[in-house]
Amino acid sequence: MKKKLIYTSLMAALISLPSQAEITFNGFASIVAGTTTSSSDSLYGYNDNIDFKEGSLFALQASSDLGEGLGVTVQIASKGADDWEPEFKWAFLSYDATDELRILAGRQRAPFYMYSDFLDVSYAYPWITPPTGVYDLAFDTYDGLSAIYTTSFNEVDASFHAIYGRTTDKINAFGNEITPDVGNLTGLSSTFTYNWLTLRASYFIADTTLPFSDLEALAQGWQQAGFEDVANNTRISEDSSSFLELGFQVNYDAIIIVGEYTNLEIDNSPLPEEDSYYVMAGYQFDNILVHVTYGVDDNVSDIYTSDIPYGLHPDIDYLKGTTEGFLYSQETEEEYVTVGLRYDFHDSAAFKLEYTDFSNKNNSNNDAGLVRAALVTVF
Amino acid sequence: MKFFLKTAPLLAGLLSFSVFADVAVIVNPSNNSELSKSDISKIFLGKSKTFSNGESVVAVNLKSNSATRDSFQKEVLGKSKSQVKAYWSKLIFTGKGKPLKEFNNDKEVIAFIASTPNAIGYVDSSQVDGSVKVVN
Repeated sequence: MKKKLIYTSLMAALISLPSQAEITFNGFASIVAGTTTSSSDSLYGYNDNIDFKEGSLFALQASSDLGEGLGVTVQIASKGADDWEPEFKWAFLSYDATDELRILAGRQRAPFYMYSDFLDVSYAYPWITPPTGVYDLAFDTYDGLSAIYTTSFNEVDASFHAIYGRTTDKINAFGNEITPDVGNLTGLSSTFTYNWLTLRASYFIADTTLPFSDLEALAQGWQQAGFEDVANNTRISEDSSSFLELGFQVNYDAIIIVGEYTNLEIDNSPLPEEDSYYVMAGYQFDNILVHVTYGVDDNVSDIYTSDIPYGLHPDIDYLKGTTEGFLYSQETEEEYVTVGLRYDFHDSAAFKLEYTDFSNKNNSNNDAGLVRAALVTVF
Repeated sequence: MKFFLKTAPLLAGLLSFSVFADVAVIVNPSNNSELSKSDISKIFLGKSKTFSNGESVVAVNLKSNSATRDSFQKEVLGKSKSQVKAYWSKLIFTGKGKPLKEFNNDKEVIAFIASTPNAIGYVDSSQVDGSVKVVN
């Protein structure tokens, strides 16, 4: 009898399962075509051959509500730039502790920037992609924990997003594929919205290891020559790093104005301190949004070998020359203007067209003009 | 008097237009929560998940090709069709929100709300019957 009872309740549980474990599918896609305006130009992965792959992407998301505040979300994105190799962008369990507090565990986006959370969802913002000069951290996803607290103070909506985790996803930099280790990634982003104004600030710290073989070879050379400090500076190993973002957004009737400033610093490393910002202004005419963006990206290197004179030894001269060559090559003073439009021609799709004029004050050979057109959709 | 007769319907028309045109926001008759326009807006933007009486909210939409949905979104949420879609894609693709349930027509919305105590929706005001309560 007892057995029968257990059996029946088990059956009941099983029968009720399908309705609870209902899975919702959503997706989004961008098909982007781009070309530079002159044969010698290249920018953001484009050259003067019309390309349809570099900026294109498809993503599919599955989510399920498990009940009692527990949910699971998985998002897989496949990008042309990665040869369409699918990647898990999000894969987490969420727990809604209260209406205001949500805890996420697993793989998720780090809220570095204003548009981080939905970085690939072009449908959700004006541009084809947010300005590359600012949105240029080598990674955007991490594995770990986060807590999102959403509340309101009178008429002000506030949201706080705290994270802790690590990322070891392979990246491509300086022509090498490396496995970085960005550990103890800790940070907080806060967003305040009052009526037509949104203000945002975020700050993150981490211990960064980027094992570039060329830099490691240089570091070993300095070490053998007895310059331990210089060797440590040349190596990017567990270097404390900080990232700051400040942003604002104005949505006033048909007017939209957005600005973001970021600062990235990796202490005791040969990588430059990066200061970047952009300001965008747009106007919505019925179903067409016209926008213009101006941005600046300044990278300044600390020339930590400047105290070492030439002439000590040919090997040291070589090390100094090579190291400083690398440090100076990292310095940039870039400026860009993007003019574009977004045309909402369909309920779930938009057409976007953009022209970017890019200039590098340190090296005018890098100046470029880029035209991009995109179809973006959510489904 | 003649003047008054002429202006009264005009005024009434203007007044109701400044509220929600011909859209009626409806809840289950058992729901006695106070709902301001801003409360309704927060519910349909996924910002607010409970009624003032503490019950959790089930908000429902008409299909996206509905003219009633268009005017509801314009007047109550203050957003165009594509702005609302863009807003919700942010919530959906960050796992912060689930799309609201959608119904094909006013009748289906009314039937759902009449049978679901914590539901809220909107329909063309001419379609409202006694099985639901209008809150605006």
